[in-house]
Amino acid sequence: MRERATQAYAWVCERTGLDKIWTALMERKIPEAKGWTGLLFTLGSATMMIFTVQAVTGFLLATNYVPSPDHAYDSVRYIDSQVLFGRVVRGLHHWGATFMVVFAVLHMLRVYFMGSYKYPREATWMAGVGLLLLVLGFSFTGYLLPWDQKAYWATVVGTTIAGQTPVVGSMIADILRGSDAMGAPTLTRFYALHVLLLPALTAGLIGVHLFLVIWHGISAPPKRDAP
Amino acid sequence: MSGADGAGCGCAGKGCAEKSPEEIGRRTFLTRAIVALGAVITAALSATGIGYFVSPAFQRRDEDWVDLGPAGTFKAGSPALVEFTQRKRDAWVTSERRSSAWVVTSDGKTFTAFDPRCTHLGCPYRWDAGTSRFVCPCHTAIFKPDGGIVSGPAPRPLDQYATKLEGGRLMIMPKAEQKA
Repeated sequence: MRERATQAYAWVCERTGLDKIWTALMERKIPEAKGWTGLLFTLGSATMMIFTVQAVTGFLLATNYVPSPDHAYDSVRYIDSQVLFGRVVRGLHHWGATFMVVFAVLHMLRVYFMGSYKYPREATWMAGVGLLLLVLGFSFTGYLLPWDQKAYWATVVGTTIAGQTPVVGSMIADILRGSDAMGAPTLTRFYALHVLLLPALTAGLIGVHLFLVIWHGISAPPKRDAP
Repeated sequence: MSGADGAGCGCAGKGCAEKSPEEIGRRTFLTRAIVALGAVITAALSATGIGYFVSPAFQRRDEDWVDLGPAGTFKAGSPALVEFTQRKRDAWVTSERRSSAWVVTSDGKTFTAFDPRCTHLGCPYRWDAGTSRFVCPCHTAIFKPDGGIVSGPAPRPLDQYATKLEGGRLMIMPKAEQKA
């Protein structure tokens, strides 16, 4: 049995370079960070872990959610009250959404204060800023989906703020809402952005970001007397 | 590319580079602790997600009993076609459906309810009081008052609905229990 597993692993490994990928990803050299400073280097991984949880719980929620004004609220209530673990899954997605923003921002602060964004890691930083904007896009579009009072009025406020842009404001607001007022097209629009466009962009940009992180290696924490 | 030389391929990860398996070093211990913790977290999250996804297979079906009124109104020996409105809850959608059933009783105590569609091709059959038979107008299938086949092309006796008496009122569950 063990013999066969080893053979199977060797077969896959020889054809995919799995061992080299493993070494490059998991056994790469990282700078020494003493004490609690080390924890600051886990913030990016934590954010990505939450993204994974959001992707899975988001898929699960979508199996029971209808992005239509006549069923959205009822279907969310159905998830909460009727579906097994429905409250847990929605709770994970709800709190995951909040903490995704928190951890992304904390991660950015660490990178900023340690100067890790400097040469040669500017591209990594740019990809990271793009990811932060995508996370905020998720927050904005996802907030509407429960279609309760809070969701509705928050989006009224959000789209009205966008409408304050000089010259093109009203056009931007109409494009966001899909109409000249909040309604059914707003919900389907936000849903499409939330489950189709944003996840695809985020997955791609995470790929770029991670590739660059590994390509450049982790930057060392700043030292006293060092430039 | 030297990717296919297979040099490092006999061994997955760092664990196998350790010389003596009895001695657990700091690195091995931490690796195992991380893997164990990760496994616990993954298991808890997966169990929740899998439970959520497969729960329809274990859900208790709603029993949609429909009240057909006082049982005393049904007379022995003369089957009655009863019309009723059925409220159906389909997850987050509630719908109403007009439907009907034939109610038969031989003694005023035990009741049988039939799906009003012929088991042959679904035509609505009628009661023929002269011969005391259910007669389907489409292809002349004929059934006895207990649903049994007398003659014609019907493949099986009339489909029955579950019935029960609750406080003197006749309740039926309009979901056909097929009689083979």
